[in-house]
Amino acid sequence: MDPTLRAGFEAALETAVNTALKYDPGTRVRLAELSGEVLALELSAPRLNLFLCIEDEWVAVRHQWEGQVTTELRGSATAFLRLLRDTGVTPASLGVTVIGSSTFLAELQEILHDLDIDWEEPLAQLIGDVPAHTLGEALRSAGHWLRGQLQVAPGAAAEAVSEEWRLTPPKAQFDAFAEDLSELAMATERLEARVQLLREKFAHRGAE
Amino acid sequence: MKDRKTTHFGYREVPVEEKASRVAEVFHSVASRYDLMNDLMSGGVHRLWKRFTIELSGARPGQTILDIAGGTGDLTARFSRIVGAEGQVVLADINESMLKVGRDRLLDRGIAGNVVPVQADAQYLPFPDNTFDCITIAFGLRNVTDKDLALRSMLRVLKPGGRLLVLEFSKPQSKLLEKVYDQYSFRLLPTMGRLIAGDAESYRYLAESIRMHPDQEALLGMMREAGFVDCEYHNMTGGIVALHKGLKP
Repeated sequence: MDPTLRAGFEAALETAVNTALKYDPGTRVRLAELSGEVLALELSAPRLNLFLCIEDEWVAVRHQWEGQVTTELRGSATAFLRLLRDTGVTPASLGVTVIGSSTFLAELQEILHDLDIDWEEPLAQLIGDVPAHTLGEALRSAGHWLRGQLQVAPGAAAEAVSEEWRLTPPKAQFDAFAEDLSELAMATERLEARVQLLREKFAHRGAE
Repeated sequence: MKDRKTTHFGYREVPVEEKASRVAEVFHSVASRYDLMNDLMSGGVHRLWKRFTIELSGARPGQTILDIAGGTGDLTARFSRIVGAEGQVVLADINESMLKVGRDRLLDRGIAGNVVPVQADAQYLPFPDNTFDCITIAFGLRNVTDKDLALRSMLRVLKPGGRLLVLEFSKPQSKLLEKVYDQYSFRLLPTMGRLIAGDAESYRYLAESIRMHPDQEALLGMMREAGFVDCEYHNMTGGIVALHKGLKP
């Protein structure tokens, strides 16, 4: 790839990250405490190597870094995103390999989890305080509604598939079937063991 | 009558001792609008070329870096953040106007403390031997009268193991791109120079000086000849620009 394109991608990513940070002073202060630390990301899908270097309150995105790396992560892009956003998951559960300091990773996870960007501020500079606040409120309400819908969506979809459309059996029916299957499997194993025992007895008598 | 030694100034041949003053005139003329013109001429891509240069510099906190022909201080600003309070960046330029614009711009951005502006000729760098961890020269080498002398001077002031990075216009790698680039350089560029900086001649010189500059392989050979080792180059934007790297053994 032409280095110009790669540099363009890194510059765009860096600008996006630092623009977001610009509107969250709390996170910037916490990042400044980690200044000098470097997170190396080796993505398997898509294949990409990146270094996220914390410089004071900002993040520099680089393709090459010859200094010391604090923590190196290897895995897929989606796994990285989940790992950095969700403090409840472990790298191993997502198939991510961690080399170096896990403390730095935990600190980054905490910071990203608490990220609270005040999008109203740049909006207010463009359209004024009152319209920005009104628009912000509307977007927040829409966001809450969407999050609520997304939370109930998997349950509602499962119910529709089994109860309404009868594409899959209801859970109770499936559980009973699974229990029967399990008993049948155990009975089969017991029968197999008895047959084996009888075979051994007959073989022993034949030999006498 | 004794023959006078000449060198190129764009497509013209001028006496060697005149080139520096002619180049100085060009940059005095464009200094105040140099950044704006760079952005317009390259569509902002010069920032990405410089960004890649910073990456390849391998600069780290505490290092000492020399930014030759640093002009308006783009690279210096970035290096200043990387080397931190324990490091130092020397912003060097032969042209007083460019250096003044660069120094003021850095101060306006709050970049001070670890940056030292120095008016210096790349051919005769006024620093002790083995001083710098890294030297960069971005879009400056083609304006130097004696490039070999400048490369040897850079080698002298680099620490052993230190690296030189030369970012410079070069030769496009495709014939089609070369044709488009020629049209752009000799037709559009002087017009833009006239409209924005009020100086078509200076921008015509910039286009001509790019064509007269050694291509990728020639510059690589010059760096090796000067004494650099592990020399390599990276073509950028189809070879319109190339970044050469060499180490001091």
